[in-house]
Amino acid sequence: MKSSSFTRASLSSILQPHFSLRSNPVRPISCSAASPKPRTPLYLRPPTFQSTLSELKKWHNWAKNQSTSVGSTFLNIDNGPDSTLLHRELNWLIEDALEKPTILSPPNHNNNYEAANAVSLRVCLDDLYELWKQRIEERRPFQYVVGCEHWRDLVLSVEEGVLIPRPETEIIVDLVDDVVKGNEELGNGLWADLGTGSGALAIGVARIFSGLGGCGRVVATDLSPVAVSVASYNVQRYNLQDRVEVRQGSWFDPLKDVEGDLSGFVSNPPYIPSEDINGLQAEVSKHEPRLALDGGTNGMNDLLHLCKGAASMLRAGGFFAFETNGETQSKFLVDYMDTKMKGSFHRMSIVSDFAGVQRFVTGYRA
Amino acid sequence: MTTQMAHSIVRSFLRFPNSICSFKRASSTCTWFVHYSNNRNYTNFPFVQKINTRDRCSGINTWNRGSTVVFSTNYSSSSFSSNDVVCETVGGREYLMLTDEQLMSQCQMDTYKSSGPGGQHRNKRESSVRLKHLPTGIIAQAAEDRSQHKNRASALTRLRVLLALKMRNNVDLETYVPPPELVQILPAKSTLRVSDKGPQIGHNNPKFALGMQALLDLIFAVGGSVSDAAKKLGLSTGGLSRLILSDDSLRMAVNEFRASKGMKPLK
Repeated sequence: MKSSSFTRASLSSILQPHFSLRSNPVRPISCSAASPKPRTPLYLRPPTFQSTLSELKKWHNWAKNQSTSVGSTFLNIDNGPDSTLLHRELNWLIEDALEKPTILSPPNHNNNYEAANAVSLRVCLDDLYELWKQRIEERRPFQYVVGCEHWRDLVLSVEEGVLIPRPETEIIVDLVDDVVKGNEELGNGLWADLGTGSGALAIGVARIFSGLGGCGRVVATDLSPVAVSVASYNVQRYNLQDRVEVRQGSWFDPLKDVEGDLSGFVSNPPYIPSEDINGLQAEVSKHEPRLALDGGTNGMNDLLHLCKGAASMLRAGGFFAFETNGETQSKFLVDYMDTKMKGSFHRMSIVSDFAGVQRFVTGYRA
Repeated sequence: MTTQMAHSIVRSFLRFPNSICSFKRASSTCTWFVHYSNNRNYTNFPFVQKINTRDRCSGINTWNRGSTVVFSTNYSSSSFSSNDVVCETVGGREYLMLTDEQLMSQCQMDTYKSSGPGGQHRNKRESSVRLKHLPTGIIAQAAEDRSQHKNRASALTRLRVLLALKMRNNVDLETYVPPPELVQILPAKSTLRVSDKGPQIGHNNPKFALGMQALLDLIFAVGGSVSDAAKKLGLSTGGLSRLILSDDSLRMAVNEFRASKGMKPLK
């Protein structure tokens, strides 16, 4: 069943043991300066493993029972996933792990598979058990289990150490779309995505620029070497190397050479107040990088840093959009930029996400 | 690597693809939430307004006022009942002629129920989408995909099917000529089909809904008689029956109507 030890070794990387996360759950950044090699998402791995349909069904039933037994326990503890969502995730895991996912679909009249027939998998059966155990018992985020997240029209590689992009953040790309469609000059300029993580925003924005056919480019920065390597991988997968450059460093630090030249910048910086982190659902608090979540005492440390930087980094007329924790932070930031940085910005507005939370602050450099 | 890239391309697609999955997947289990909407979709389309004023069953003519506000909060509550949607309207066909973006602009989109602050706080792939077509009150939803974009596209495809099933256009039997979209879904045997009409459109094709609507218009107009409808379409009764039975939603709509007329269901 298991092929070469080489494959086995590379697979163990998607089953990344959680010892490091357990002992130090909040520091994903490795100390080494060497660029880490990003993991290939499960669905892109070759289907080199074999099992039988009956063995696979045994696993499927076991996994379904595991999901069912969760009930609403996690939901009640920390607003985590309930059985319904876990069942749906299990279907997605099957989609990604099997070469022909439909053989496990419920009443399937189209196949004549015998129980003993071979089934091709992208991961060995033992590892499928292990992966679902991690999902349920350790609350490992589903996106880390399969190594990808579907975001907008993209499938982005993600792994431990990189924030899983959230659906709310998708709207920032639409905001940029609206801005550059009304102002061709901005769409041909240089933009930045600060704290890019998986590269989601940079890639989303760059694809808008590609669609316009102009020469707009994006520099994506991140302090985390893991994020830099994952973002670079995602940029390559969408063949945007010419439009997106990934640089390692803190916020505006790697952008000294383009100070005052940016046509726009976007960012989803950490904005959760430090004391709230431990109360988040286990998927987030135990597994996602604290560096990408923790915004300091009131959650605003990085947002304020970005506001100040925006004044010097943007050229006149340049646009910015960043995500916040909600109404309180958004209103504070607009007020701060209006009063403490009087004259630097204009046309500021607060934009709500699709759940009605006042999520984004946007504006232009005066 | 080539196959990997191909895979990724297959899985990515543009904002409003025509059709992502067939109506048959609509039976997937999903939980639905009504609460919030994305007001990006409230764009003005002048001719849509025109349809609205002609739409006798709508009762909603104010839905896209103030549409210059992009992303404001909560257009959620609507006092409008969605149950009574089967009604005669001249606008039924026109809804299906709209592009995806235009149709979206007539819809209120609800996504997942927001519990708590969202954003970085949460990790739940609740990418469910529920579209409410405001002029008719018809609701279509999708939850089975990971991406909200794909669910939105699936919901839109389902909305088209539901519009086709529920919105009737008037048919004048005296002068009846099947519209081209109906001819396109007819089997090659039909005497109305000529070679330049192209191949028969199957139910996975987004254009099927339009043809299905025209077929239902005719069947309603002839009081549910498959043989009468078949004559108008240059088909044998058996041929039209097979076409109706080939699509679950079409079959159910025809049988429901026949039952209301005291006729036996097609099998």
